Amino acid sequence: MNLSLPENKRLRFLRWFDFRSGRLGMIAYILNRVTAIGLVVYLYLHLAVLSILAGGPAQWDAFVQIARSPLFLTLDVILLAGILIHGLNGLRIALTGFGVGVRGQKPLFVAFMLVAAVALIAGALKIFAG
Amino acid sequence: MNHKRSSWAWFWQAVTGIALLLLLGLHTVAHHFVAAGGLRDFQQVIEYLSNPIIVVLEIAFLICVTTHALLGVRSILFDLGLSARTERRITVGLSVVGIVTALYGFWLTYTVIYTGSSSTAFLPK
Amino acid sequence: MALNVTLKIFRYRPNQPARCDTFDVTVPDAANVLDAIEQAWDKHDRDLMFRHACHHASCGTCAVRINGREKLPCIAPVRDYLDGGKPITIEPLRNFPIVGDLVVDVTGLFQRQEATGFVITRPTEDSLDGKRVDHTQCLAPASAAIVPFNRFENCVECGICLSACPTMAADDKFFGPAGLAAIQREVDKTDDPNARARLLDLADDEQGVWRCHSAWECTEACPQNVNPAEAIMDLRKQITARRFKKLFAR
Repeated sequence: MNLSLPENKRLRFLRWFDFRSGRLGMIAYILNRVTAIGLVVYLYLHLAVLSILAGGPAQWDAFVQIARSPLFLTLDVILLAGILIHGLNGLRIALTGFGVGVRGQKPLFVAFMLVAAVALIAGALKIFAG
Repeated sequence: MNHKRSSWAWFWQAVTGIALLLLLGLHTVAHHFVAAGGLRDFQQVIEYLSNPIIVVLEIAFLICVTTHALLGVRSILFDLGLSARTERRITVGLSVVGIVTALYGFWLTYTVIYTGSSSTAFLPK
Repeated sequence: MALNVTLKIFRYRPNQPARCDTFDVTVPDAANVLDAIEQAWDKHDRDLMFRHACHHASCGTCAVRINGREKLPCIAPVRDYLDGGKPITIEPLRNFPIVGDLVVDVTGLFQRQEATGFVITRPTEDSLDGKRVDHTQCLAPASAAIVPFNRFENCVECGICLSACPTMAADDKFFGPAGLAAIQREVDKTDDPNARARLLDLADDEQGVWRCHSAWECTEACPQNVNPAEAIMDLRKQITARRFKKLFAR
């Protein structure tokens, strides 16, 4: 068992995702980055899909019917999870970066993630209830 | 250390991020929680955009989310340990992507409002 | 009582493939991991390369990774790693060029420290009877206004924070936690507004405080409670406050 990740310069970026330290700050950092990448991909997907609106009511309303299927609603819940995790963790980073709650960065993370969990459950119920 | 000019990136990332908490909150609730069936149909989209305050907020949202997303992409790409020259190219490239994205958003909003108002003109009262 | 432990030590020489060697050593019950490494060198392999000097966490020379985490092996008790007889893995610090085995070239760290222009000194600690002279007992009350600083002097320049930092791992251009903590310490210490401005200018750089991704690994790994992450956040706060002041002073 060699704990070293490759020290090869080209592969060094892999250390972004090295969660083995198991410490809260590192886990928050990785979560933030993974959700960030997911949200950027979604943003451009979303903007592309919105171009259907330019096609007028018939095309858009046909798309809306598809988007109301359970598969799309499940994807919406995943999206909501990403937004909540990234948004609240981002608020923590901004606050500590402006000198607020620096000593409490760990409890802040736990508290924000609890808020995210509650909001996600409420949001998921709302999404599936229509 | 001669990278002074870009030291505002973190600051704007934080400012747009905080703005997004409000704007994205509004956007998500308005489009997916208030709307019946979780998504507005074409007519509902037109009605929503008929409010000029909403249009301003949606445009602000577009600008903030694009800025925040591309600053984030830049920050992740910079962690590849690139040369200063490549980093400058990335900054320029992402700026262009950002401007194109915003222009696309403006065009789409304009088109939807325009076709919406022209198509509703023919609807029976 | 003696402890029998297996060490799994990272081995490397330039132009040769890296490997891990295992060494079975016997050390006293109170031994630290550095003692075990020395046993491996003494009893098994005199070619083993490792660095150390003081044996009591004041020189910062011996820093390595024990089971993946950055530690000073001179103060890491072997008995903390007796995980059911599993070998203790010892590897060099990350984010520094490897010289050989456990030895890395820490010049980059010292160059960063030097770039800030600071001499590192250490304040006194409590005496054996637990007493500490309170300066207000012997000096005029006016001097009671001296601000109690977070002691950056605790830094032993071991390089552990640079090894633990994920941003440092990604890009050598980052100034790094130790250097930024040094700048913050000097900002706190100085009464000279010009010196303070110069120090904040130094930290206000894309590769300075703004490059940190807030993973807090430096503070978690630091063996001397220097708390570099908090120093970085404090510098960000001060630089932002200064910007707003400039903005509204126009």
